[in-house]
Order: sequence, then C-alpha cells, then structure tokens
Amino acid sequence: MAEKKRADQIRAGEEVERFTFRVTPEFNAAYMEAVEDYHPRYNETTDFGPAAVNPALLIVHSNVTRSPSFYLPEGVAAVHTDEEIEFINPARVGKTFTVSWKVVDWYEKRGRPYQVKQAVIVDEDGLEILKRTITDTYVSGGG
Amino acid sequence: MSLLTVGTQIGTEFTGKIKTITEERVYSFSGGFPRGPEWPKKTIHTNIDVASRCGLKKRMASGAMFEGYLIELMIDLFGERWLSKGKMTLKFIAQVSPGDTLVAKAIIESKETANSTTKYKLNLWCENQNAQKVVIGSATGWI
Repeated sequence: MAEKKRADQIRAGEEVERFTFRVTPEFNAAYMEAVEDYHPRYNETTDFGPAAVNPALLIVHSNVTRSPSFYLPEGVAAVHTDEEIEFINPARVGKTFTVSWKVVDWYEKRGRPYQVKQAVIVDEDGLEILKRTITDTYVSGGG
Repeated sequence: MSLLTVGTQIGTEFTGKIKTITEERVYSFSGGFPRGPEWPKKTIHTNIDVASRCGLKKRMASGAMFEGYLIELMIDLFGERWLSKGKMTLKFIAQVSPGDTLVAKAIIESKETANSTTKYKLNLWCENQNAQKVVIGSATGWI
C-alpha cells in the first residue's frame, strides 16, 4: 500500500482518494438530531419527493477529513476557514454517494498555510448533488 | 412553501431557530457513524486533549454544523427548490464550542426580477449567545 501523503502537503493539481458512503434512514436521523432539524422532508416522502438527506450530513461527509487517504501527524489539524457551495440536486435517503476532491490552490498568509479544494458529491446514478470550494488552514501545537 | 415572496422588500431580516451546541450533538455530528466501540472518534471537535495538542484552547464544534443552520434558514426562505439551485459563500470567523447557543440570520441585500423569476441576494450570518458573529457570508436563490 502506498504511503499516505500528509494532507497539508498536498498541492494544487493533486487529487485526494474518493470517499463513498450510503445514507440510511438511521444515518440521516443521527444528523437531523445533531443539527436539530426535524423537518418531515428528511424522514418521509413529501411534495418535495422521497426522503431527502439532511444537507449538514452531506457537508460534513464532503470535508476532506473523510477521505480514506487523509492523514495528518498527531498535533496537526485542519480548520475550515472559507466555503463556497452550490446545490445542484437534492440527495435522497437510501442512495450511495461518492465524494471527490481536488486541490486547486495552496498559499501562505501571515505564516499560515491555506489549501483550497474543490469537492463534488455525485450519487450512484451519476446525479451531481453539490459542489463546494473549501479553504482549510492547518493548525498545530507548534503554532 | 417559502417565506420569501415577490413582494418581500430589500432590508427585510429573517431569523432561524435557536440551536444549542450540546456535547451529545457535537459527538453525534463529529464522532462518526455508526457508533462503534471507539466512538466518538477523537478529533479537535470531540476531545480536549487532541484539541490542545493542535494548539487550540478549547474543543471546536465543526463549522459544518452551523453551516447546516444557515442552509435550514435558506430552505425556509426559498423552499426546497433551494437545494436544486441555491448558492452560498461563507467565512468562518470565530470558534464555537459545546455550551454555545447559535442562531442563523439573513437580511435581503438585493432583488432582481426578470421573466417571472425573482432573484434574491442575502447577507447571512450565525451569531452566538453574546451576539458575536461566528460565520458570515452571502447566499443567492430564486422564487
């Protein structure tokens, strides 16, 4: 198995290993509770269509920390600083989703690294769900 | 069902539901799913020792949690169609920790009507129990 590259050292043009996950009703319910959003659209078929995946679940599972290849040494963490998000289609409970990431920029500002990534979520039918441009910085106990 | 109508005026402010960042909700959101013997996964969100080793004074709730609060408000304003063509840009400006109470807010900055569609641009933010903004940004949507 190839050695994992430190997440904070991945530069523009490089991709991160894709992450696939299936959203069950129980999985969705855990995130509805976490964000206190109990709207029926997330539990049952409504005028909006079959039960939808709570958007917060999609956001947290398209953070790069979910990539199977994500690695940082102890004492270093990724912290989210900026975000652009575009919703394209609702995600439906019961579907399997794949997230892909590509680093599009990396820069330093006031001595701190910033990494910009594009993330895309697609469902098992190839339907695009959302696109994000995510900026993370990396913090460590060393400053 | 959406709160915005073609008659909604520029400058109108909207307030979302009050959300409480509890320990259990942070664990549910950032601790992983399903819950196994290692749950909650140790991260800067769920474990003070991990946060300290990364140079943080406190555990931080995931920004994706309060991003979810803003998305909920946008769906309240525009209806579920916002999950098909809504856009949002955010900057995370302050830490949020267990025990904080947050509320999402939005104010209409501009509106533009063409071909029987009205496009709204809103400024939005979440603020904590001390009225400190923790995330700021803007969103667009159509009715």
